[in-house]
Amino acid sequence: MLEQQLINGLTLGLIYALIAVGYTMVYGVIQLINFAHGEIYMLGAFFCVTFITAAGMPFYVAILMAIICCMLCGILLDIIAYRPLRKAPRLAALITAIGMSIFLQNVALIIWGSRSRPFPQGALPPFFREKALVMGDISLTWLQLFIFAVAIIMMLGLYLTINKTRIGTAMRALAQNKTAASLMGINVNYVISFTFALGSAMGAVAGILVSVYYNTLYPTMGYTAGVKAFAAAVLGGIGSVPGAMVGGVVLGVAEALGAGYVSSLYRDGVAYAVMIAVIIFRPSGILGRSVVDKA
Amino acid sequence: MRAKSWTKAVLAACLLALVCSPAWAQKIKIAVAAPLTGPAASYGENIKSGVETKVEEINAAGGINGVPVEVAYFDELCEPREAAVVAPRIVGDKDIVGVVGHVCSSAHLAALPTYVRMGMPVISPTATNVTISQQNKDNQGRVWSFRNVYLDDYQGYFLANYVKDVLGLERIAVFYENNDYGIGLKNAFVAEAKNVGLAIVGEEGYVKGATDFAPQLTRLRGGNPDGLFISGYYNEGALIAAQAGNLGMNVVKFGADGLDNVDYINLGGDAANNTYMTVPFLAEAAPEQAQDFIKKFEEKYQRDLDWMSANAYDAAGKFAAAVAAVGTDRTAIRDYLAGINSPENAYIGITGATYFSEIGDPEKGAFVKMVKDGAFSAAPKQMQ
Repeated sequence: MLEQQLINGLTLGLIYALIAVGYTMVYGVIQLINFAHGEIYMLGAFFCVTFITAAGMPFYVAILMAIICCMLCGILLDIIAYRPLRKAPRLAALITAIGMSIFLQNVALIIWGSRSRPFPQGALPPFFREKALVMGDISLTWLQLFIFAVAIIMMLGLYLTINKTRIGTAMRALAQNKTAASLMGINVNYVISFTFALGSAMGAVAGILVSVYYNTLYPTMGYTAGVKAFAAAVLGGIGSVPGAMVGGVVLGVAEALGAGYVSSLYRDGVAYAVMIAVIIFRPSGILGRSVVDKA
Repeated sequence: MRAKSWTKAVLAACLLALVCSPAWAQKIKIAVAAPLTGPAASYGENIKSGVETKVEEINAAGGINGVPVEVAYFDELCEPREAAVVAPRIVGDKDIVGVVGHVCSSAHLAALPTYVRMGMPVISPTATNVTISQQNKDNQGRVWSFRNVYLDDYQGYFLANYVKDVLGLERIAVFYENNDYGIGLKNAFVAEAKNVGLAIVGEEGYVKGATDFAPQLTRLRGGNPDGLFISGYYNEGALIAAQAGNLGMNVVKFGADGLDNVDYINLGGDAANNTYMTVPFLAEAAPEQAQDFIKKFEEKYQRDLDWMSANAYDAAGKFAAAVAAVGTDRTAIRDYLAGINSPENAYIGITGATYFSEIGDPEKGAFVKMVKDGAFSAAPKQMQ
């Protein structure tokens, strides 16, 4: 049973991790907790399903298109809602983020209706539902393996982008000191837009994977997922990308083990208790660096 | 000065006459309190189409004593919080003669105190929780909330007998939603299961709106069940069925009326097959007088008649019968409904004969339907 619970937790955790990196990257660059990120995740799922059902695109093409649309949404979100408030107090931007989250959720409710809808099964590769591995107590579907693979590849790609490319270097420079970075000739707004696009792409993929895995999507799905992923980002150390990955997996596994061994009704409680315990003893999170607050 | 106060008195008298306009000018409104938006909106849709059909029939026949009937819709999202907000608004509308609703037991329980205190007759077509009939009396002992649906304890009792005798199951895993409906139903099932000799190999809970059930299912799987009892609603139920399939639990699934929605099949996919559920009404087993309505309903809404619409249709019918007999006074309507208390003076509707016990609950049997090859059908064997 333990092995199965670990697999359950890992699937959930990798998805949390994908969303969490979106929170943490934006926070790292402009010190804003982008609460509308959960809605980008929801939009990813809805775009993908709409492209499949309305435009008849194949599954993989629809994923790509949904990612592109979500990247655009992320950039637009920044330009419309956050850029005008760049010099304003941080609280103003934070409230705006909450407002954008409510706004996007309600737009989705108007466009797609409130009912949960299934992911179009006909569009999925047929091997998804087949068992990849049945060994004693463990049961693993190809879809779960697909989720593992996609999540890990995406995160490796993200890691390489941040650490090995020019734009990644610019992002890290911005995270360290915005003024100094712009003095070095870095186009600050361009880099911020790029950060939003990158985070949104990860969020979109997470949304699609979740809606395929659970075979359900609904306009309010971004809320809980957003809160969980935010918790994961804090747990790992907000602002730290590897931290968000670790935080997501830890939270997912804690949730699965909590439901499996403590009490199924307190699974979220167990997950948050783990988070609170970590924050008490390491206020900067698992991999976060303790920095002196500039404000 | 004297003359002025005299005109004032006349004016006041005129105003008083206007406000207390005589009864013949009154409108007749039936309130529908249901989730019209939100995750449970499809329940509200069902109630709406049932009441709508009944009211259209009444109005086509010239209304009640010449007065057309209107329906006032109140959206409460199946949430106790929202239900407690709409209840005073319903009571405050003087034209409303009765409420068809609420749909969810927890919402009904939250709205109930307002109806009882302010004297508003209510018929719920769907709320099956047992505790409702313990809280529906005012301090004079008068029942204000009736229902024309059976109770959870009956569904649980019935299900335990059905899965044991008809389906031949032995080891049951119980997965319940942590709310009034899920817990009440589960408790009744578990109690009867012990009597008939079913083994309960695990009990797990989940919260409404959850999407990941794998940890709990993994735990339930450890008990090696041959049947999975889903004590909850279709949205989560469908995901539970699908995730149980992913974990290799190819067991018989069963549940109660909460699973009965076409979205259970849409969201559950192949895994929804081999699910049995109790329903208060089954078109295939409906009485004579229902056949006409079933045909009309299917033509109008382009879908199969569900039990909620049928019960809502009958609930609205009872209010119409009450108003036709005793007028629009709420207390008189309540007394009329309370008088439907024996098989002799039962209300004959499309769901059969309904009459209320002293505490406002009906005597009604259950039917079983199942999911087979991706569609609902009547279970091959019924049990009465």
